[in-house]
Amino acid sequence: MPKAETDDVQVFGIRHHGPGSARSVLAALKELKPDCILVEGPPEADSLVAFVEREDMKPPVALLIYSPDNPKQAVYYPFAQFSPEWQAIRYGVNNYIPVKFMDLPMTNSMALEEQRRKEIFELIEKTLKEEDDDDDENHNDESEADEIVKTSESFHPESKDKMPSISKDPLSWLARAANVSDGERWWEQMVEQRRDTKDLFAALNEAMSGLRESLKDEPADKHDADEPYREAHMRQTIRQARKDGYKNIAVICGAWHTPALSNMPPAAEDAKLLKGLPKTKVVATWIPWTHSRLSYESGYGAGIVSPGWYQHLWDHDEKIVEKWMSKVARFLRDKDLDASSAHIIETVRLAETLAAMRGHSAAGLSELNEATKAVLCFGDDTPLKLIYKELIIGDRLGEVPAETQGTPLAKDLEAQQKSLRMKAETGEKILDLDLRKDIDRGRSHLLHRLSLLGIKWGIIEKSKRKSGTFHEVWNLRWEPEFSIALIEASVWGRTVLEACEAKAKDQADKDPSLQDLTELLDQVLLADLTNSIRYVMEQVKSVSATASDISHLMHALMPLAQIARYGNVRKTDVETVSEVIASMVARICAGLPAYCSALNDDAAQLVFESIIQVNSAISLLNEQDQLNLWYECLQKLLLDANMHGLISGRAARLLLDAKVITTDEIKRYFGLALSLAQEPGRAASFAEGFLQGSGLVLIHDVALLEIVDSWVSGLGEEQFKQILPLMRRTFSSFTPPERRQIGERIKQGQVVARKQEKSLDINHERGSLVLPTVALLLGLSLEGE
Amino acid sequence: MTETATRVKSVLREHAEQQYANELAELERVDKKQKPPSWKLSPWAVSKYILGGKLENGFEIAPKYIGKERIVEIAIATLATDRALLLLGVPGTAKTWLSEHLAAAISGDSTMIVQGTAGTPEEAIRYGWNYAKLLAEGPSLQALVPSPVMRAMSEGKIARIEELTRIPAEVQDTLITILSEKTLPIPELNEEVQANKGFNVIATANDRDRGVNDLSSALKRRFNTIVLPVPDSIEEEVDIVTRRVESIGRALELPAEAPALEEIRRVVTIFRELRNGITEDGKTKIKSPTGTMSTAEAISVITSGMALASHFGDGKMIARDIAAGINGAVVKDPIQDKIVFKEYLETVIKERDGWKDIYRSCREMS
Repeated sequence: MPKAETDDVQVFGIRHHGPGSARSVLAALKELKPDCILVEGPPEADSLVAFVEREDMKPPVALLIYSPDNPKQAVYYPFAQFSPEWQAIRYGVNNYIPVKFMDLPMTNSMALEEQRRKEIFELIEKTLKEEDDDDDENHNDESEADEIVKTSESFHPESKDKMPSISKDPLSWLARAANVSDGERWWEQMVEQRRDTKDLFAALNEAMSGLRESLKDEPADKHDADEPYREAHMRQTIRQARKDGYKNIAVICGAWHTPALSNMPPAAEDAKLLKGLPKTKVVATWIPWTHSRLSYESGYGAGIVSPGWYQHLWDHDEKIVEKWMSKVARFLRDKDLDASSAHIIETVRLAETLAAMRGHSAAGLSELNEATKAVLCFGDDTPLKLIYKELIIGDRLGEVPAETQGTPLAKDLEAQQKSLRMKAETGEKILDLDLRKDIDRGRSHLLHRLSLLGIKWGIIEKSKRKSGTFHEVWNLRWEPEFSIALIEASVWGRTVLEACEAKAKDQADKDPSLQDLTELLDQVLLADLTNSIRYVMEQVKSVSATASDISHLMHALMPLAQIARYGNVRKTDVETVSEVIASMVARICAGLPAYCSALNDDAAQLVFESIIQVNSAISLLNEQDQLNLWYECLQKLLLDANMHGLISGRAARLLLDAKVITTDEIKRYFGLALSLAQEPGRAASFAEGFLQGSGLVLIHDVALLEIVDSWVSGLGEEQFKQILPLMRRTFSSFTPPERRQIGERIKQGQVVARKQEKSLDINHERGSLVLPTVALLLGLSLEGE
Repeated sequence: MTETATRVKSVLREHAEQQYANELAELERVDKKQKPPSWKLSPWAVSKYILGGKLENGFEIAPKYIGKERIVEIAIATLATDRALLLLGVPGTAKTWLSEHLAAAISGDSTMIVQGTAGTPEEAIRYGWNYAKLLAEGPSLQALVPSPVMRAMSEGKIARIEELTRIPAEVQDTLITILSEKTLPIPELNEEVQANKGFNVIATANDRDRGVNDLSSALKRRFNTIVLPVPDSIEEEVDIVTRRVESIGRALELPAEAPALEEIRRVVTIFRELRNGITEDGKTKIKSPTGTMSTAEAISVITSGMALASHFGDGKMIARDIAAGINGAVVKDPIQDKIVFKEYLETVIKERDGWKDIYRSCREMS
């Protein structure tokens, strides 16, 4: 074990979230029996350490340090059950050994980060200015500014280089030296799967020392700028512990830092370095975490990609490969896939042979996955994806005690409630919002956002929605359990907006049906989540592309069309919607004729309604390209002799209404459809499809009425009985005056028609008297006045 | 078989173990790693032979299979665990090629081969009889005609079965005893042939073709399955297509001028997009048709386009010449595929810059 300068300090270099490290740390602690444990982590959380022993505290959880003034500025320190830090803290708390965090206080590092950000902005501004003086070409400036931002991003924790800098991801570099593809794999083979941990810490210390040596050659801007401060503070904490009289101190930190902590420089140097660091106010709290989020980059640097596998490594001491494969087989059986014990045996054999071929001592996750694919999944990737999701990530949600301090999310909500003047009251309250006002729109957004997060503070009153698109009536009631819901929701983000965006994206990712997605899209638009709209739209686009059921597409079209047409009332960006609509219309038009073949009466009725909807959606959008496609499709429906009458009839009607085909043509089609050679059932349903909803066309066009009339008169008794209910149903959908007029015409033949035409004689003189008033109403100016 | 091996170099196509004899010999010489029983080379050397590279002594091994290293490793590891290997993939993914080279490297003999067809009888997998001898001398081992599989068993070599899924299901199942018990009973003689160490089976099958006999689950269980992927990048695929088209064009003596790379790229793009169900830019998802959309079909679309251009056009292949071929390759199911293709035309091709000619020609066709 690496010794610090004196015997009273032991440094254990670990990998964050490494179960092997956790195991060896625990074993080492048991042997060492320290009187003080120092853990890499924010000292602001020292007071929260006691929580880890609580029954209602279940990992994965995260320490969250945030600035109360700006909740967006926050850092997470996640812990899984198999995190070495977690095990070390628990060991300490269980054995009444003081546990302290020793990293640079977040109050300093956040202030440092802020300072740096300001510097970068200043730099950009300065460069822009200089550019302006030199050159007037503006577009050049922008790209240069981008470049500066890009290069300066290496300071930023979220930047992603192809090969990360040594200090960021030392494992990748060690792996590269060992000729292994990635750092995680290398570490898994060398450390996590090793059950014999003797000398492990010493070896790691050596390896890291070597790497740090070569770090000197790296360009300075690749270094973690905080590192000197952080390590200085760690050393200072160790010194302080020693001063406090502890004789046997255990230090748990990332392996990377071990050399820096084992060889202590003079205390004065560190003190000088740490003097006068900027400060900012921060708050620390525990929040629940999830396995899938362990893979994110966080306060502990890069995440891990296979938390479920690591949990497995932590849970089991021996026969890891066999137990993992049984787990996989059980899982596959649950999914009704064939997986016998013989399969498991063969998979294990193959995985082990593969490992041997590659020169590894034991089969790792990648060998197991490859073997599973070849033996259990017959080369198919799909089950493997399920295994990845459910076992390798193996998502679980942590829990934290309810009395952990307020989360930034709650703080953000409080601030918003204040600025929007909405109090959280337990009594019921009706809120009538006028969306044309800024404050009401803000309120509406907040309520929609909260309900997306599962906090149903307000429930929208549906019945009163008729009063206009700019009105929303909410029924407000704050429930006490919402505070818990807020803690749970803080997994998603630090502000209401951020949490909503994250949750919406997550929901969109869980590949739901097209219908769920359009609903989600509606919610996202109502909540004004500008960043998610595009994402959800993309999802809608890709799901609609593979949706085989045209009816889903047809249902989804109308809401989307409305969003595209009226979305701007809410000042939301809807450009993307139109793109999706265009592709959906193309798909509907391509698939509808085939979808409509061989429909029975019930199905035809449903399609009939969908077609009307689609038609109004497409007319609403009024895009010539889409209209053309749609009319082409309708013509196919009309001309297909085997089409259900209802559909052909409606297609004819829609084409007539759109003036795509002339009245003369319609007469021909109508005559053909209603000719005596046609089976009467189809003829009647054609008439129904054509006429349903409005009989005006029969009043205006005598020829059509004649066709219907002569068709009905020409039917035999049996046939007449057969179609009577259908025709009755059709005609009952007309308004009474329409029915009366049609009846009168048929009774009196052509005479009525002529009389009717006569009565249409217009007295222009009297009519023109109304025109000024009409013009006033419509806001037009009459020509000639 | 031994005759073939000694025959002089006038053969049209040499077996892998003949063509690369010097590479195999060199590998055998330097190979110091542990070999599974009866293997000519160690698994490490086999993978070196397939993937190519430089040996420590500077000897250059030509790569036989260009693709993922992992796939080759799994294949070799499978054979080393004495499980049978099933190589799946659409036509033109080098299944047969890989199986030949694996057999050549492991057993030094790639000729123990059964070609699967709808008419492959049980005798082709088990054994037949020399009826003249059978009648003259009665049933005996001398009257027996062993199948390649039977010979591979007794010699401890790799047997290859091509197009396994084309073989009728009941004949396929003959393999079950061979693969699980590693023995082939001969009830007529009350004898059996037990497999010697080193015996194994590599089968290839087409996973998306129509009219195939799916493996029974009993048989499926006895194979480790590896799906050979289609070419990763469009560049790789365009390269394969261009080279094949050139050689076919020469063989057919098509007077048309070689198609422009751009035209080939367009056809390959259409094939890749429909096959993968997503556009090349990764932005739009599309439905895949029922057909395989294999690289091999793309090649034939272009060669037939060349033929059309040379016999009916001015010798220069244009969009119209390939539209018919594309339509034929995509629309295998007259209803479903037509919709898929139409959707694809309207949502993807139509919008693409400079693709108007293809859009129009395809639309006329459908």
